[in-house]
Amino acid sequence: MSTPTDTTTVALIGVGGQGILLAAAILAETASAEGLEVKASEVHGMAQRGGSVVSTVRFGRKVFSPVFRRPDFVIATEKLEGFRGLEMLHNGGTLVCAATTRILPGSVLRREQPYPDDLAAAAEERGIRLLAVDAEGLAREAGTIRAVNVALMGAASTVLPFTAESWRRGLEKAVPAKIFAVNERAFSLGRDSVVTPA
Amino acid sequence: MSYPVAARQEYILPVMILFANHTAKVAAMDSTLFLMGNEAIAYGAARAGAGFAYAYPGTPSTEIIETAAGLDGVHAEWCVNEKVALETAVGCSRAGVRTLVAMKHVGLNVAADPLLTLTETGVNGGLVIVSSDDPGMNSSQNEQDSRQYARFAKIPMLEPSDSQEAYDFVAEAFALSEEFDTPVLLRSTTKLSHGRGQVVQRERIEPASIEYVKDITKHLMVPQWARLRTRFIIERLQRLRQRAEVSPLNALCEGTADFGIISSGVVHEYAREAFPTAWHLKLGLSYPLPYRKIAELYERVSRVFVVEELDPFIEDHVRMLGLPLIGKEAIPADGELDPDIVSAALEPYLETEPPQGRSPVFPPAPRLSDPAPESSLPVRPPALCPGCRHRSVFTALKRHKLAAMGDIGCYMLGADSPLNALDSSLCMGASIGMMAGFNEALGRKASAAVIGDSTFFHSGITSLISASYNAADGLVMILDNRTTAMTGHQGNPGSGVRPDLTEGPAISIQELCDGIHVRCTTIDAKDYQAIAGAIKTEVATPGLGVIVAQAPCALLVREKNGTVLVDDDRCNLCGLCLAIGCPAIAPGEDTVGITDACTGCGLCVEVCKRGALTLSLGEEAS
Repeated sequence: MSTPTDTTTVALIGVGGQGILLAAAILAETASAEGLEVKASEVHGMAQRGGSVVSTVRFGRKVFSPVFRRPDFVIATEKLEGFRGLEMLHNGGTLVCAATTRILPGSVLRREQPYPDDLAAAAEERGIRLLAVDAEGLAREAGTIRAVNVALMGAASTVLPFTAESWRRGLEKAVPAKIFAVNERAFSLGRDSVVTPA
Repeated sequence: MSYPVAARQEYILPVMILFANHTAKVAAMDSTLFLMGNEAIAYGAARAGAGFAYAYPGTPSTEIIETAAGLDGVHAEWCVNEKVALETAVGCSRAGVRTLVAMKHVGLNVAADPLLTLTETGVNGGLVIVSSDDPGMNSSQNEQDSRQYARFAKIPMLEPSDSQEAYDFVAEAFALSEEFDTPVLLRSTTKLSHGRGQVVQRERIEPASIEYVKDITKHLMVPQWARLRTRFIIERLQRLRQRAEVSPLNALCEGTADFGIISSGVVHEYAREAFPTAWHLKLGLSYPLPYRKIAELYERVSRVFVVEELDPFIEDHVRMLGLPLIGKEAIPADGELDPDIVSAALEPYLETEPPQGRSPVFPPAPRLSDPAPESSLPVRPPALCPGCRHRSVFTALKRHKLAAMGDIGCYMLGADSPLNALDSSLCMGASIGMMAGFNEALGRKASAAVIGDSTFFHSGITSLISASYNAADGLVMILDNRTTAMTGHQGNPGSGVRPDLTEGPAISIQELCDGIHVRCTTIDAKDYQAIAGAIKTEVATPGLGVIVAQAPCALLVREKNGTVLVDDDRCNLCGLCLAIGCPAIAPGEDTVGITDACTGCGLCVEVCKRGALTLSLGEEAS
């Protein structure tokens, strides 16, 4: 392509039922609140049946394609999916991963395949900046383990180029009212858990 | 160059037309019949060893089944519509028996859903679909060119031009179907279907018997396998085109005039009669088109006409090759043709200068997408949910070693290892027709249908009515969770819930079955022993039976009864509980382990034969 765009690509990946679509909606609304163009692509259908789920959010002054294979950021709500995220990222990309969340796929449960272990080493080997987050612990602290997705977004908010005010507006727009309070807590805990914003 | 008009008026006895190598020399023989095209198709099917023929009546195709019903070796049935007819035929084909389906052009629209996935799965016993078009709308609501479906479905198409070819081409179609693992479209039009001509009967073909072998990578079209089959059909089409180039069904007939005509079906006979001295490229295997044979015609003559009824189907392809032609600017794009229309339409063009430029550009073979990058990471396919109460159906059904014809919905996940409980999935509502055909072909209750409530309302009902009408044998399991679960729990007629959350009457599947005279039992799917008992009874009872297994979707109730405890002394890791495919059960070193995902549904406790598992009620157990 002759004219490089300023488009940023974020892939959100996880296991069906973990709330990837909500996390993607928060990100999209936040980028929108910054006055950027946003395009997103979601995978529906099998989403609640425990399969891998990927959602892509792209933002910038002008966005053309809703999909792009090489993300700048991957936000993974589960550790094995984090490993998958490493395979998608280019050198210099960033992985934000719920590193304490392990959901074993059938082949691992049946002991046909090992669950991969050292995420930090794998990230370093590929030249990828890793933000490993105990999103599950934070979500539990916020009041529900189901808020892993939003706690992780709180952590991711420290590496994505948006203001705290935009994140707040994104949360308000994307999160349903009846679960807003617990998710807001989870988001704050996630954001505060990152000591040195990169 | 002017065309000698006198030549056009030569009278040629139809029976003496020996223009193409493949056309039989018609001799006065005892076995010669004077048949309507539709009758010839039925006789051709019987001669080709077809065991079954299905249809819904529709002019101009109706006589095919009426005739087939009277022929030895062919069992013919009316189905309630063309979709059910094709699905029932697929069941017979899976069982290894050659099967014919017949319909009029608009019926092919109704059958398009199974067709467009059948092209992926291919066949076992040969499967031929006859579609009779009605140019001029002698008895139809629209004009529709079925040839477009051959291109749409990427399947081969044969177009006979008279009764003898109608008879002969059926055997060619069955052979192509089995050789290329594809359904084959045999396209007719009113004047062929309702025209009559001599047919020399030929020796009956005894098709090789073909065993049914379970292969979900070929028969169960979930995305994982369908992606592979899509590549197969793209490659198959390339191989079929090579066949079309050399097939004697595509005959280049030498002429003396300096122009050529490309045509197919009965229209070829019009063109032949109108211009007997012309070169004729007669397309009998008319899709995929033989590009090089078309180019060969252009080497022989200085101008080419394409004569066809309805759409510029051949014309579009020839133009794509960059070859000049006279087509739909001369030949009417609507209505029927005849020799007079053809000659009047083309003669003015013979007075003009022949076009310049005749270098064909052949389209390259299409490229296939790159395979996904290799990864050593464990894959995470979707799975039947922990606590899904309909897992009991699969667990109980598996015991009976029936071929399980699945349908479209989350219960397709019952096909995955270790449950391995389904054999096939074609399209919405196909399971019941396929089961009926499969059992009919094998003459016993060899398969069951597994279908969800919403899919049943979509198009399972019609198949069940058809199965009842035709006295089919089989067991239909309706997994009723009163919602459309796969797509996100939308309402359906079983719940009565509408998109705006207002509610209408909830339609009872039990009452519906009662109304169509189908034996039906409704059972709580949570009661494994009751499900297993009902299935056992049904399998042993002749005829058609339905079991409605009712339980709400596990994702909607999200109830946690408790959890399952493992007695380490009793568990010997025999694998019975692992075989139910619950994501909450994992093998440990010496015993199984139960994960947090356990909802306490208790199915694993039911299947354990050593009393090693017990249900502990209440949250705290986990």
